[in-house]
Amino acid sequence: MQSKLSDIELIEHTLGGDQSAYADLVKRHQRFVFTLAMRFAKNREDAEEIAQDCFVKAYRSLQAFQGQAKFSTWLYSIVYTTAMTFLRKKRVDTTSIDDEMTCVQIENKPSAYDAHNIENKSRSYYLNMAIEQLLPDDAAIITLFYKGEQSLEEIAQTLGMEANTVKVKLFRARQRLKERLERDLKHEAKELI
Amino acid sequence: MNSIEEKLWNYIDGNCTPEEQQAISLLIEQNEAYRNTYNELLVLNAEMATIELDEPPMAFTYNVLEQIRAEQAHKPLKAAIDKRIITGIAAFFLISIGVLVIYMLTQINWTSDSTGWRIPEIKAPELKAPDLKNVFSGTIVQSILFVDTVLGLFLFDGWLRRRNMPKTA
Repeated sequence: MQSKLSDIELIEHTLGGDQSAYADLVKRHQRFVFTLAMRFAKNREDAEEIAQDCFVKAYRSLQAFQGQAKFSTWLYSIVYTTAMTFLRKKRVDTTSIDDEMTCVQIENKPSAYDAHNIENKSRSYYLNMAIEQLLPDDAAIITLFYKGEQSLEEIAQTLGMEANTVKVKLFRARQRLKERLERDLKHEAKELI
Repeated sequence: MNSIEEKLWNYIDGNCTPEEQQAISLLIEQNEAYRNTYNELLVLNAEMATIELDEPPMAFTYNVLEQIRAEQAHKPLKAAIDKRIITGIAAFFLISIGVLVIYMLTQINWTSDSTGWRIPEIKAPELKAPDLKNVFSGTIVQSILFVDTVLGLFLFDGWLRRRNMPKTA
C-alpha cells in the first residue's frame, strides 16, 4: 500500500517517526543512486559505500528538504557531493594509483570478457562499457538525463553547474560515446572475421 | 564542435525554437547527410534510453536502516538535548533578570538637588518575614509563576517524548 505513496508522502511519514516509510523511499531510489555512485566510483564496493552514505545523510537532513525541487533532484545532489568527497579522500589515501592506471584496467576488462563470452557481446554491452569509460561527470550527466528523468536545469542543480554547461557536456559526452562505440564495434567485427 | 550533430541533438532533445525545429526537419528531409546522421543519432538515443541500471546488493536497504539505527543509538547525550530546552532555560533567566532590574529601577530615588549630581539613593527593602498572602498577590510574581508553569510543562512534554522515542523507532 505504501509503495503507491508519493515521495513527499513517504517523507512526511518518515518525519512522523515511521522508519518503514524511509525503507520504501530507499527501495524506490536505490537502483538509480547506486548506478550514479558507480559512475563516479567505477567499482561496486565504493559505489555501495557512497550510496549507503548518501541515504544516511539524506535521512539526517530530511527535515531540511523543503519540497521546492523534486526529491530525486535533492537526493542526486547529495550523491554528487558524497561521491566527490569520497573520491577526493580516496585520491589522498591512494596517491600511487593514478587515473591512467584505472583507465587501463577498465579497458582491459572487455578483452578478458571477450575471450570467454563472445556470444554475449551486444551493442548495449559495449554501450555500458563505453559509459563506464567516460569521465565521472559525463557518465553521471548521461545517466541523469536518460535514466533519471532529469531536465538540463535539474541536472545543473544537482551538479552545481550552469544549465548551458550541462548542455555542452551532454553533447560532448554523447560524441565521445558514439566514437568509442563505433571503435569498439569495429574492433569486435575484426575479431569475429 | 560539430554543428550538424549539435543541431540534431538539440532537435532530438526538443531544445530548439519552433523556427529552428522547422528548419532542421526540412534539412533532414532534403539533405541525405543530415538524414543519415539524424538516423544514427536516433538509434544511439534510443539505445541510451534502454541502459540497464546497476543492482545494489540484496541487503542494501537493510544496511542503510541499520546504519541509521546505529547512529541514533550512539548519539551522544549532548547532541540529544533539544535546543529548545536550552532556549527555554535561557529565556527564563533573562526574564527573571529583567524583572529584577525593572523592580530595582522603580525603587531608585532619582530626585537630585540643585547643587549638582548625586548618587541616586536606593531604598533598601525592609526585611520582614515574607507574608505569603501579599507575595502571591503581586502581578509580577504571578507572571513569573505562570512562565515557570509553562516551562515546567514544556520540559515534561520533552521528557515524555524522549521516553517514548525507542518504542516508535
